[in-house]
Amino acid sequence: MSVFTDDVINFTSVLKMAYNFLSGREYLKKQKFRERKKLISVVLPFSDLSFAAGAVPVFPIRMESFNINQYLVALNSATSILGWGLTTKLLGFIKQFDALKIFDNILDDVLKSINVKYNEMYDLGVESGISSDFCYGIKSLYGMHVSKGKNVDANMNLAIRCSAFNKYYESLRKLVPRQIWIDIPSRNIGNALELLTDNITNAISDLEEITGNHVADNSLNKQFRIGNQVKRYYKTIIYEISAEDFYPCNPATFAEILSLLGISFQDYNSNAQRYLENIANLVKEMRERIRKGIGMDVSKMPRILLTPVFGGWEPETQEYLYEHGARTLYADWEILGLLEEIPVSKGTNPVEEYARYLLNATTEGIGCDNNTLTDSYQRIAKKMNVDGIIFNQLFGCHSISNCYPMLREKVRKKLEIPITSINFNKIGENVEQIKTRLGAYMEIVKPI
Amino acid sequence: MDAIELLSDYENYLREKKDQGKKIIAFMGHDNIPEELLDAAGFIPLRMIFAGNDDLMNASNDYLPPSTCSFAQSCIGLFSLKPSQYNFLNSIDQFIVSNHCVSDICTSEIITKYFNIPRLNFYVSYTQGPEALKYFKLELLDLKQQLEKLTGREIKKQDIIESIRKYNSFKKKLSEIYNLDISGSEKLKTLQKAILYGPVILPELEDFIQAKSVNQTQESKNSVDIFFTGCSIFIGDYLIDLIEESGGNIKYFDTWIGEAYFSQVFKDEVITSNDDPLDFFVQRFKDNKNGDHTVPNYFENKVAQIKEIIKEHEEKKGKKLGVINHIIKFCDHINIFQSFLKKELQEEGIQVLNLERDYSRANRGQLSTRIEAFMEMM
Repeated sequence: MSVFTDDVINFTSVLKMAYNFLSGREYLKKQKFRERKKLISVVLPFSDLSFAAGAVPVFPIRMESFNINQYLVALNSATSILGWGLTTKLLGFIKQFDALKIFDNILDDVLKSINVKYNEMYDLGVESGISSDFCYGIKSLYGMHVSKGKNVDANMNLAIRCSAFNKYYESLRKLVPRQIWIDIPSRNIGNALELLTDNITNAISDLEEITGNHVADNSLNKQFRIGNQVKRYYKTIIYEISAEDFYPCNPATFAEILSLLGISFQDYNSNAQRYLENIANLVKEMRERIRKGIGMDVSKMPRILLTPVFGGWEPETQEYLYEHGARTLYADWEILGLLEEIPVSKGTNPVEEYARYLLNATTEGIGCDNNTLTDSYQRIAKKMNVDGIIFNQLFGCHSISNCYPMLREKVRKKLEIPITSINFNKIGENVEQIKTRLGAYMEIVKPI
Repeated sequence: MDAIELLSDYENYLREKKDQGKKIIAFMGHDNIPEELLDAAGFIPLRMIFAGNDDLMNASNDYLPPSTCSFAQSCIGLFSLKPSQYNFLNSIDQFIVSNHCVSDICTSEIITKYFNIPRLNFYVSYTQGPEALKYFKLELLDLKQQLEKLTGREIKKQDIIESIRKYNSFKKKLSEIYNLDISGSEKLKTLQKAILYGPVILPELEDFIQAKSVNQTQESKNSVDIFFTGCSIFIGDYLIDLIEESGGNIKYFDTWIGEAYFSQVFKDEVITSNDDPLDFFVQRFKDNKNGDHTVPNYFENKVAQIKEIIKEHEEKKGKKLGVINHIIKFCDHINIFQSFLKKELQEEGIQVLNLERDYSRANRGQLSTRIEAFMEMM
């Protein structure tokens, strides 16, 4: 059983977010057929423009039906009648008498089904022609588009430093002919900002053509405001709540929540306003639980930053670390500079501000080389005051994973905290090896 | 001339140039670096176009994971192990960090950082739209400034034009050699040497053409004509031998060491115009539609280009042309499209061999078997 289950049953906001993630297919169907909205496939957290254009961004795995759909339908029916708060209370109440552990199984299935689906998409990607030498992210994303790409009206492609990713975008042309490209300059030289602003303006024109909507500055600012608030809450969880000595749940659950945030942040579960409400409630609930003493004393547990995970990682890692007395933290989007806010004050040009945001993320966060990228890892690890770093080396990743030797050198010299790497290719494939490595690593992590 | 001899001669050549006060700028040998600009600034451009082996690949594992492009690994290995025949790499003064692919960035960065070679930056847009072209111009301007800072003198417009003319003549000469009726291996060796040395080798190329026109070697009628695409065959690689031993003859080299290099010439009317010469490079970048770096139309353009060449060849020679798509293990750009390329071309009745490999010796037998089987099928 996943450790996530026990805690989450009373966590309305988490339940909501998980539900919204998994019930995406039904929601998107309604949006597409009833509301006549256009679906835009997004990967990585680049959904703002689509929202501002009145389209529906979707991280493509959310178009899949998940195996536990019948439970979700039942859950949905209960929430329609009782509302979310009461449903959660009811679930918590029933759970006390739940000898058959039905609810545990439901939520356990939810989590497993995401992983199973990811692996299914991975296999589909390989079967459809993507060489197994590519990273988990690219193979599974390609599979997602093979599976459900026909449902989307366009792909939002942001050319970044990873050449494999840019080529993966190109390979999608056969599956989703309409592509919207934003080529982010590698460096902020000359009038690069102005050029990126023009690129974004072109992308907005494409979106306008697809949706038939005019994208006004107000629409952009409105979306950026929502995004900024989401980012603020996200950072609160990363920097404040994760630093507490008392957690609102056990640390493995906390890690699960962070991983859920990481995945869902890419498309805000296709509804930015709803996502904002959920994350606001999440922070509120977390604080309330801490205040009431519901949760767990984690003061003696070292805090381990596990990164990067956005391209795929072994979910059992966090449970294993928990069993060995550590708390796992995820902060990929912050490391890559994607949790920076976009200024929306009067007189600002929202397109230019978005360009500045992307350019800063490229030059300061992701970086056009590994020196900048490793500085980002180091900077955020220091800011989060973590006790150790586990670097997830993704097989076939030639961009981010390549920086490990450089990062190791910097961390050892400057941060003086233990760092190790684990290898990942596919969920469930390398668990024993990871455990052996983590076991050795945990021996050298200083207990607090 | 074998690779060892070539490298030895090249070392002597570079030593001589260094003695004359020349400086060397090296870079991963892709098709968007404006070597004319380096030449105009008085530097010797040195393309990293050397094949690897087990030792070189293994030596890179301290810096990059093994799931990295074998060519990139080998480039690092060259600096890490410093094999004696590559002593000339010690004389590199600057190394350009560029982004033909992300392995280019990582490898170049590692070479500059860990082997103490000063770094120059030159990043290339992935798309080719108007903004991407303007950005490319910014990068050119920046590179020009970096070079000027190094030399302490301005790179004059006329210097750039002169270099462009020089490289233009050189590339046109390579094109002539390419069209000679000689074996693929002879063409490849000439191209490799020429691209390594640059226009300084022009008289030798002229002599070569002269000699060949007097004494044309008859190619075997029984050989299988091959269109070679994907990753280049770099200096010291045995692949061309395997292909020829199996009865193949490469007629077209659609790679960096091949048409992708020498086809990038400027028209005379462009050079004689009064425009900023940096704009010529921008135009060349824009015209480089078949270069594997670009998105989103590379694959479509590549398939169309291959189909057209094959159709022309078959009409002209009355002979089938097989395609070998050379994929160096973990090469992002070529690898991702391998199955799609094969499918598209096979639908047109074109035979394709996706030849994926790294530089390990153990691969040789397997490669040979696969090539032989392909030749038999052809």
